[in-house]
Formats: sequence, structure tokens, C-alpha cells
Amino acid sequence: MSAQAASFRLQAVLAAAFMVAMVVGAILLAGANPLSVAIGIGERALFTRAGLLEAVLRTIPLTIMGLGIALAFKARIFNIGMDGQLIAGSVAAMAVAPFLPLDALGLFLLLASGLAGGAIWGGIAGIIKGRFGGNEIIATIMLNYVALQVLSWLIRGPMQETMRIIPRSDPLDAALRLPILFEATRIHLGLVIALFAVVAVAVLMQRSRYGFKLAVVGANPHAARYAGIDPRWIAGGVLALSGALAGLAGAVEISGVYGRLQEGFAPGFGITAIAVALVARLNPLLVPVSAFGFSLFYVGLGALARNGVVPFPIVNILEGTIIFVFLAGGIFVAHRTKRVQAEALDG
Amino acid sequence: MDEALFLSGLLAAGIRLAAPIALAAIGETISQRAGVINVGIEGIMLVGAFVAVLVTVMAGNPWAGLAAAILAGAAMGAIHAVFTVRLKAEQIVSGIALLFLGLGLSGYGFRLTLAQGGSAVQVPGFRELDLFALSDLPFIGPVVFGQHALVYIALFCAAGLAWMLASTRLGLMIKAAGDYPQALDAAGGDVDRLRFVCVVVSGAFAAAGGAFLSTAQLWGFVENMTAGRGFLAISCVVFARWNPLAAVAVALGFGIADALQIRMQTSYPGVPYQFFVIAPYVVAIVSLAVASKGSRMPAALGTPFVSQRQ
Repeated sequence: MSAQAASFRLQAVLAAAFMVAMVVGAILLAGANPLSVAIGIGERALFTRAGLLEAVLRTIPLTIMGLGIALAFKARIFNIGMDGQLIAGSVAAMAVAPFLPLDALGLFLLLASGLAGGAIWGGIAGIIKGRFGGNEIIATIMLNYVALQVLSWLIRGPMQETMRIIPRSDPLDAALRLPILFEATRIHLGLVIALFAVVAVAVLMQRSRYGFKLAVVGANPHAARYAGIDPRWIAGGVLALSGALAGLAGAVEISGVYGRLQEGFAPGFGITAIAVALVARLNPLLVPVSAFGFSLFYVGLGALARNGVVPFPIVNILEGTIIFVFLAGGIFVAHRTKRVQAEALDG
Repeated sequence: MDEALFLSGLLAAGIRLAAPIALAAIGETISQRAGVINVGIEGIMLVGAFVAVLVTVMAGNPWAGLAAAILAGAAMGAIHAVFTVRLKAEQIVSGIALLFLGLGLSGYGFRLTLAQGGSAVQVPGFRELDLFALSDLPFIGPVVFGQHALVYIALFCAAGLAWMLASTRLGLMIKAAGDYPQALDAAGGDVDRLRFVCVVVSGAFAAAGGAFLSTAQLWGFVENMTAGRGFLAISCVVFARWNPLAAVAVALGFGIADALQIRMQTSYPGVPYQFFVIAPYVVAIVSLAVASKGSRMPAALGTPFVSQRQ
């Protein structure tokens, strides 16, 4: 290892250490003991039945959405609009619900509608990116705000409950709810759907031509063009595809947990899903593990925040810090520096 | 006369609503011109907004709040610079992390300090300039002479930056860092140092935008109060083709659209207000689709640079 590379690594370690120190400092500022906070998270999340079950419940949508992020980020398409796509999916599912047969087929169609709704919302950003070359980060974020406002209108207007008191929809028919898997828990069939999605996305990314195309476009769009791959089609398509997964997650949450449309369900999941996928290094098989880890963190911290130990936004600080530490850790992946140099020469 | 009064009020409000976006867009222009994209300015704006309110309340002076916000924004920019410029990390991912961090730090700090009292804190924020006779002029008075001091400072900065990029040695070096860093490197320039400084400065501008939001436009902090303004600022930069003065003009367009939708809400109570609220975002989405075609962004934007000199 040359002296230059050694100093590079030292800087990475220092940068990561600084970020961690900031989190510790933030906890100290709140008058809490960082060590007891860490222990408290572990105790609540790992060693209580309720905490563990809550974390599993949260892992379901985060896994499905993390897979969508992994697909898009693999092609270096940065979909930050999963929150909007999730809303679009759950609205689509609830909108078709009254017309569905009340059996397994109806439940299947409900989830398919969620998938389609998310695909359409992601597809709008896909068209802006693929057809017009507009930045997908801006497009997906703006569509988040549009989706939030449309939802706010729908549940106070055309989709509000018959009683017209609370801004929420009527409940789904019991036949359209995902069945509970284990007696006396809230763990529903969505867990199986999430695991199925992991396998499907893993095959797609690691065994199929499409997955290879995503990787080529992500690594070098110029080379992709020479190989006969149109990066614009890939960009547009993968935005719709990852939107579809977010929409599916929305329909699963509605059907499995809430049973009706309301505001503020799945708060910030789209953002957390990004952290989930990045820490899993965009590997679909690691996404559920990462999602479970983040869920444990969230459940543990959430319990501490409710008890007033630390203010709740510590969750966001921690998510940001984890990504920064992950970025610093990326320096240590062997071929990393070489790739950067190759890109610099190529540019 | 009513129309003139309406138009004058609309423009004056539009400028006020545009100022935070314009300040952030000026900063993002500098950073992107040097080759570093920062998608986390939304997070920096939030930190700026919070720090400005906190220090304004503590010091009793909004200028102290602004100064503190600028320092905090520069520090946030420095984090992005360390990861993207020094460590050559993926710029988009670092920006996303910065967004989380800013969201978390501002909300966390707010709940530890200002939100503790329970009742709303009095914020001695900025007042509009009052140039006596000038500000009382019909129509142009409130629009041209009745704005916050920061609006004039922002305009001055945008003009100065445009001049700097177009006609100075430093401007040429910044453009080289963003378009063809190899050339700057070969000529003996330090690409990384230049990029580092530009990213720090862009953080300071974004935080100043946040400070305007919380101490001039509104007098107080609300969690996640920027509501996408940082991303609107980035779309201003793209729409303005990386020209700082044009970016301010585009921001003004967003500001006027925002002022207009607020007025429409009261004029058309029959239409659900949500349809008016989404107007600026829809304008941004449509303009993104229209403006991106054939636009030429800095060639090395988003690409980390590794010097080949020994």
C-alpha cells in the first residue's frame, strides 16, 4: 500500500469517526447517556416480544421498497420519490377495492392495483428522465409533494369515509385484508410476499439480461450505448419498476396493517428504504437483513423517544450517519479506487 | 387601480417567497459549476433555518442569527466536501445522507431548545426595509424598495457571481474544474481545493436561504419547513443552464407562482386548496421536462477527480 493510499484510508476513518462522534454528541446534548441509549435500543428491540414483532412488521414494507431502490440505484438512477409512489399505489388499491370480488382473486387484484399505481407514478418520473432527460431526483421529489397533496384531498373529498368525520377512507372488506400468519401477532402474509420479492429481484438482478443491462448502464452509460443498450429506456423503465415495488409496499401496508387509507402511514419509509438498500450494498439478498436491522434500530429508538430520553429526529440523524459511515467504508473495498481513477480518465 | 394594487402585492410577495430558493440556487450554481452536485441543500437549508431562529432569539438580533446560520451551512457543506471531494464518494449518495442529517439535526435541535417551552417563542426577525418616501411610491414602492435587505444582498451576490464566472481568472478556474478538470490540473491548478471551497460556499448560501425563510419570510421554525425548496433550487439551476442570474430569475418565477396560488385559494373557495398548493411543484416538473432537452451541464459534474500529477 502506498503512502498516498494509506493517508486516503486514514482520512476515511477520521471522517467516519467524526460522524459517529456527532451522534454521540447529540445524545449527550439531550442529557442522555449514549451507552445506556445503545443498551436501551438493544433491550427493547431484541429482548422484548412486542419490540421484535414490531420490527418484523416494519421489515415487510422496507424490504419491498429497499429492493426497488437497489434496482434503480444499480443503474445509477436515484429514485427519491418512493414515498409518493407508495401513496399512489395505496390510493390505486383503495380506489379499485369496491369493485373487486371478495376472495383470494380480489386480494391478488388489490395488490396488483397497488403495483400498477406505483408503476404509473414512478413512470411519470421515468418519462421525464427517459424522454426529456430531466433529473430524476428532482422529478421524483416533486411528485412526492404532489402525491401528498392529492392524498390529502382524496381522503377529505371523494374517498372519505361515509360518516364524513375523520379524514380517512372506509375500511377494506375483511376478505381483502392480508391474512395474519401467526396467532396473536400482527405479522401478515406480506412477509411471504416480501420474501418472494427478494427472490424475484435477486434473479432479475443477478441472473437475467435485464439485470446485466442495469449494471452496465450504472457503470458506464457510454459503454452501454456502444453495447446497443439505450440508457434512456433503462432509466425510464427502472423508475417505473422501482415505483411498482413502492406501490406494492403501499398496498401491502393498507391491506395488511391499516385496513384503510389515511394520512401519515408509512412515514419516511421511502427515505429509510434508500439507507436500507445502500447498507445492503444494493445486493437484493442482503436487503431484508438490512431492513430488519434498520427496523430494530427504529423500534428501539422509537421506544426511547416516546419515553422522552432523546428527541425523535435522532432517527434521521442516525440514518444519515449510517450512510456516511458506509460511504467511508466503501474506500476499503479493494477495487474502489481503481474504478474512480478509470472514471476520471474516462471523463 | 385595483389590478395595479393586486399586481404590486403579487410581485412583492413573489419576491419574498422566491428569496430563499434564489439564495440556495446561487450556492448550488457555484458548486455545480465546479463539478460537485449537492442534492442535500434541502437539509442544509433546514439547519440554516433552525440555527438562525435559535441564535436570533438568544442574541435578540437577526443578523447574528444569519451569521450563525451561514457558519452552520458552511460546516454542513464541508461534510459534503470531505466525502465527495477528498474521499471521492458518490456525490448523490453523500447528498442524500446530508439531507437526512439536516432533517434530523434541525428537528432534534428544535425539540431540545425552542420547542421546550410549550408556547410559541417570540422571534425578533428581519423587517422589510423602509426607505420612507421611496417605499411609499405607488406600485414600484413595495416591489422595488420595500423588500428585506437580504433580497438586495442576494441580487448583488448573483450579479457578482455571474461577473466572476464570466470575466475573472477565478471564474475560469471554477468552470475548468467542472468542465475539464484535467486541463486545470495540467496547468498547475488544485482541482480538489477549488471544488472544496465551492461546496463550502454553496452550503453557506443554502443556509442563508433557510435563514431568510425562518427569520424574514416567517418568524419561527417548523420541522421540515423548507418543504422541497432545496430541490426547487436545484431545478432552478438546471432550468437556468447553470447561470446564476438566470437562476434567480427562475426562482422569481417559482415565487410568483407560489404567491399566485395562495391568492387563488381565497378567490376560489370551491376548488380544494390542495390543487393550488401543488401548483409550484407541477410548474417545476413541467419546466424540468421542457428545459432539460439539449441543456449542456458541466461536463465533469458528478465525477470525482483524481490528479495524475506526481
